[in-house]
Amino acid sequence: MENLVYIALFAPFASSLFAALFGMSQREVFVGIVASMFIGTAFISSLLLAIHLYTTGDVINITMMDWIHAGDFNVSFGFVVDQVSVTMMTVVTLVSTVVHVYAIGYMDHDKSFNRFFSYLSAFVFSMMILVMSDNFLGLFIGWEGVGVCSWLLIGFWYHKADQTREENPSVSPSWAANEAFIVNRIADLGMLVGIFVLYWNTGTLKYDEVFAQLPYLNNGIIVTATIALFIGAMGKSAQFPFHTWLTDAMEGPTPVSALIHAATMVTAGVFLVIRANPLFHAAPEVSFFIASLGTFVAFYAASMALVERDLKRIIAYSTLSQLGYMFAAAGLGAYWIALFHLAAHAFFKALLFLGGGNVMHAMHDELDIFKMGGMKKEMRGTWIYMTLASVALAGLPPLAGFWSKDAIIETAFNEHTYFLWIMLVVTAGMTAFYSFRQVFMTFHGEDRHTPLGFHPHEMYKFVLIAMSPLAVLATITGWYMKEYEDFITELLPHYEMSEHTHHLASWLGLVVLFFAISGIVWAYLKYARIGRHAWKRDKEKEQGFFYKLLKNQYYVPKFYEEFITKPYAMVSAVFWEKVDLKIVDATVDNIAKAFYKSGDATRGMQTGNLSNYLNWMAVGGVLLLVIAAISAMFV
Amino acid sequence: MDNILSVLVFFPAVAGLLGFVIDKESARAYGITVATIEFLLSLWLWFSFDMSDAGMQFVESIPLIPNIGISYYMGVDGISLFILIMTTLMTLIGMASMSVTKNIKNMIVTLLFLEMTMVGVFVALDAIIFYLFWELSLVPMLYIIGAWGGPLRVYASIKFFLYTFTGSLIMLVGMLFIAYTYYSVTGIWSFALTDWYMLVFPKSMQLWLFAAFFIGFAIKVPMFPFHTWIPYAHGQAPTIGSVILAAVLLKMGTYGFVRFSLPMFPDASVMAIAPIAVISIIMVIYTAMIAYAQKDMKQVIAYSSVSHMGIIMLGIFAMNAEGISGSVFQMLSHGIVSGALFMLVGVIYDRRHTKLLSEFGGLASVMPKYAVIFGIMLMAAVGLPLTMGFPGEFLVLLGFYKVSPIMTILAGTSIILGAVYMLRVMKKAFFGPVTNKENLKLKDLNSRETWSLIPLVAIVIWLGIYPKPVLEPIDNSVKAMLHFMDEKAITQEAKDIIKLSKSTKEAK
Amino acid sequence: MIGLSHYLVVSAILFSIGLVGVLRRRNLLMLFFATEVMLNAVNIAFAAISHYYNDLTGQMFAFFVIAIAASEVAVGLGILIVLFKKFGSLNLDDLANMRG
Repeated sequence: MENLVYIALFAPFASSLFAALFGMSQREVFVGIVASMFIGTAFISSLLLAIHLYTTGDVINITMMDWIHAGDFNVSFGFVVDQVSVTMMTVVTLVSTVVHVYAIGYMDHDKSFNRFFSYLSAFVFSMMILVMSDNFLGLFIGWEGVGVCSWLLIGFWYHKADQTREENPSVSPSWAANEAFIVNRIADLGMLVGIFVLYWNTGTLKYDEVFAQLPYLNNGIIVTATIALFIGAMGKSAQFPFHTWLTDAMEGPTPVSALIHAATMVTAGVFLVIRANPLFHAAPEVSFFIASLGTFVAFYAASMALVERDLKRIIAYSTLSQLGYMFAAAGLGAYWIALFHLAAHAFFKALLFLGGGNVMHAMHDELDIFKMGGMKKEMRGTWIYMTLASVALAGLPPLAGFWSKDAIIETAFNEHTYFLWIMLVVTAGMTAFYSFRQVFMTFHGEDRHTPLGFHPHEMYKFVLIAMSPLAVLATITGWYMKEYEDFITELLPHYEMSEHTHHLASWLGLVVLFFAISGIVWAYLKYARIGRHAWKRDKEKEQGFFYKLLKNQYYVPKFYEEFITKPYAMVSAVFWEKVDLKIVDATVDNIAKAFYKSGDATRGMQTGNLSNYLNWMAVGGVLLLVIAAISAMFV
Repeated sequence: MDNILSVLVFFPAVAGLLGFVIDKESARAYGITVATIEFLLSLWLWFSFDMSDAGMQFVESIPLIPNIGISYYMGVDGISLFILIMTTLMTLIGMASMSVTKNIKNMIVTLLFLEMTMVGVFVALDAIIFYLFWELSLVPMLYIIGAWGGPLRVYASIKFFLYTFTGSLIMLVGMLFIAYTYYSVTGIWSFALTDWYMLVFPKSMQLWLFAAFFIGFAIKVPMFPFHTWIPYAHGQAPTIGSVILAAVLLKMGTYGFVRFSLPMFPDASVMAIAPIAVISIIMVIYTAMIAYAQKDMKQVIAYSSVSHMGIIMLGIFAMNAEGISGSVFQMLSHGIVSGALFMLVGVIYDRRHTKLLSEFGGLASVMPKYAVIFGIMLMAAVGLPLTMGFPGEFLVLLGFYKVSPIMTILAGTSIILGAVYMLRVMKKAFFGPVTNKENLKLKDLNSRETWSLIPLVAIVIWLGIYPKPVLEPIDNSVKAMLHFMDEKAITQEAKDIIKLSKSTKEAK
Repeated sequence: MIGLSHYLVVSAILFSIGLVGVLRRRNLLMLFFATEVMLNAVNIAFAAISHYYNDLTGQMFAFFVIAIAASEVAVGLGILIVLFKKFGSLNLDDLANMRG
């Protein structure tokens, strides 16, 4: 079994190295194929581990080697395969495999094809470290590793020039990449502080050892540690106010968006909360804050998605919103439901993104849904996939999203946090609306793309086939919720609905369904019809206050630019030009100059005329006398 | 080989003298050979080093002027061993990567003399010998900046020389005072550090002496506000000068704090934690912001050096094994990473004769290998886990968290601000379209450049993944030093703040 | 009655005359004279104070000063002659070769 762990962990690494060997040469299809096979191997190993764990219940702990040891601090590369990590491993490697195969088709014409696979596999490796590590610092390695890979992949098309915010809200891939990295670093500082707090109060960073000491820690320490760790989670999972990078990250190639910025990396924050659940459980105030923030982000992101025109950004907002749902569940104590939603979301969201990638491929990188419409006749397979994924996202039975999301909303009701419940229900309606708005505007309604000179074509067959596992899983995952609950609650705490909630469960479900279906119907009436009722652009409405507010993401990016980026650059320039050169350095130079100057000034005394010298001598003698007299007075 | 240290110190100097008679054409090959032998010797030192012994090893002691207690006294422990190896390594790599062709023979001889002084500083255990090498190291550097530098080279080299020289004079006064005190207490003159360690000074005297040494070391580090010589020195120095300056010469200051200030003045050191931490935080944040505003690639790296030195200073004054070991490790990491970054800037300077960021853009398309190595070093500079930059920075922050959480958070902004200015360089120079036509025909790294950078990349990754072989001896010596400080401290508050590791406590 | 103070006053007056001479004169020979005046002013003070305290050390010292002054004049005049031969003048304004 140990070997399987190592295979699961290092196959992606091998894949990355292999692809890197060809990183600077011409596109070679076999690089993509071999990389996919490596990742597939990792998936199979993870699956075998999952089956092993499911059947025997043996948690595997491995310590590979020492890492940092100084003073009393001691941390090793240790890995654990338990119910939580094996879930993540399976999900990550599965989605990764699909995305790798998909990318062979999608990156077909890119000259940096090999480099792409190297980065993508490196990402999978980092993600595996993140989920498999048995200590917080190991998690931090993966945490930073996925950050770097995300930076590399968002900025994959680094050669694109910067544009103004009006032309492109994300400026350029390299700009978006830097933004993502820096915002994540800010949050990582929080994470590091959390690690410091835990180390100095427990003397260890291993999960189980830390959690074993929880009863002996006072509340203040637990609260500090959870807040700090959660700040880290907020960065990675793009929670408000660290959310702006996620939509900008859509500058990366679509397979990247599907894998990193939807299915896996962004869920790392949720994973952290789930992994450290005893810690968060011990800090109910922080947990409630997490739930509230999650709910807020769910709503906030969904509202921005309502008016977005960019296909990928709509999906990105929906990711943000769904992450909010996961945090809401985790914050309310329903850790296993959060993890279940995480898995289900990974499947349908990756499918949605890959479908979006097909559209983008067909439309030659055009992403404006206003320029699409009626594309279902040209792209039937993609249409089916995207509709399926959107149904799952909207939360209609019997697809995956229904079960997991409904459970989260039910949890909010069960915890008597009715305000959160209302928000989540409303958000569910909005989710249905915007996801179907996007489907209808792309595939239904009037054909707006042909007049613009686009001739979309369906994606390669093998790509569509590669996507099928996701479609299947997006459909059936929810059916196995009960079995999964039994499996996962061996590790994570049970979450029982109260009698009262149980009683109302079906009604609650119906309320959610009502909102979701009305969202879809409304979207249909507005966007899907053709002829007389066809959708027309309403320029007047686009000038409205709310529309502009949402379109500009509540002016948050603008705010960051005006109040953080620009002042930072300005203060930096002032520090350099005014303070460092004009004050600090000038002081040093002036001290040096004072010596030169005093020499220069007194040089006049050196007239060469003995008489002058004698005069100065007399002055000196008198001065000495005066000094002697004065000092005599004081003695 | 009992006198391996003497060989290490004087072999380059003797070889440098012989270098005068070598033919100009073969001077470079000769220099590299000598530096390689020196490096192998230092590796040999490492292999025959007893990892479990925390004290001084390979000690040599020959009385020079017995009347006033000056002796030729040398030794290495875990702290100095690796700085020494880094010195010989960076001299070798710097020499191998060097693109200077003007007066190449003089350059080689100067570098070999510089190597002698640098190795000398790190092995000297006699204050006078230490001071001798400390000051001597200025001369070759002065020559390198003054003779091979840019347009402002004279100003820069004189500023460098006078500034650091002034500081060390004050330190010399401190040394003489200690020697005199030793004489009045014991009746014997001695400049041996190990003798000095036994002196217990009253608190007020410790503060004065600490201040005297502080000025000498702080200018060298350089600490804010004594840092302004460094942008000029780096800006004007040739690539090799910057590499050695950043990698080794700056470490002499921080090494001085570990070797002199902490064990000799434990109480004063504990009292100085707060002011030094404040200065360090200013260094970290302020110079990181200045680095962001730079227009010249090399100046970014120069200021980033100061910012990283702030982290190192902070770790030294964490007063626990985590912080100090991390700090010493970070010295090595900073030496290698910033040395490599200066070499990388040198590569582009050789091609375009400019370092201005505005001249570049889109280099990643033209010079992919260069971009990859720059990227790796950049990631090490911002402290990415599994690169060499991480363990040091992490341990420093971890260690200082015990002293002050708030200050640690402030200093921790280093990981953010470091990313900010480094990524700006990456974006401006490497990303985006190739805007300048002159950059289109740039050649990627040639084999000389590649092969001098690859070893550094390998080390950066190796010690990021497995720092143990280096960290363990450092940690042993640091623990022993802390134990010693704790015993020696006279005030209770100092004893409280100096934190012993569990293993040391048990041994006690 | 002529007391110590009278001698000291004379000495002070002589010293001042000498000092003014040193400060104002431009001719080297005159400078020598002025120096001699100052030295003798000091001698008067030595002798007077010595007598006042009945301590011969002061008078001994006065002899030393006289002896040194004599040798100084001898050497100094020699230098002056060389200077005069070389420059043809003893005016200090003409001899300002050491101007910085």
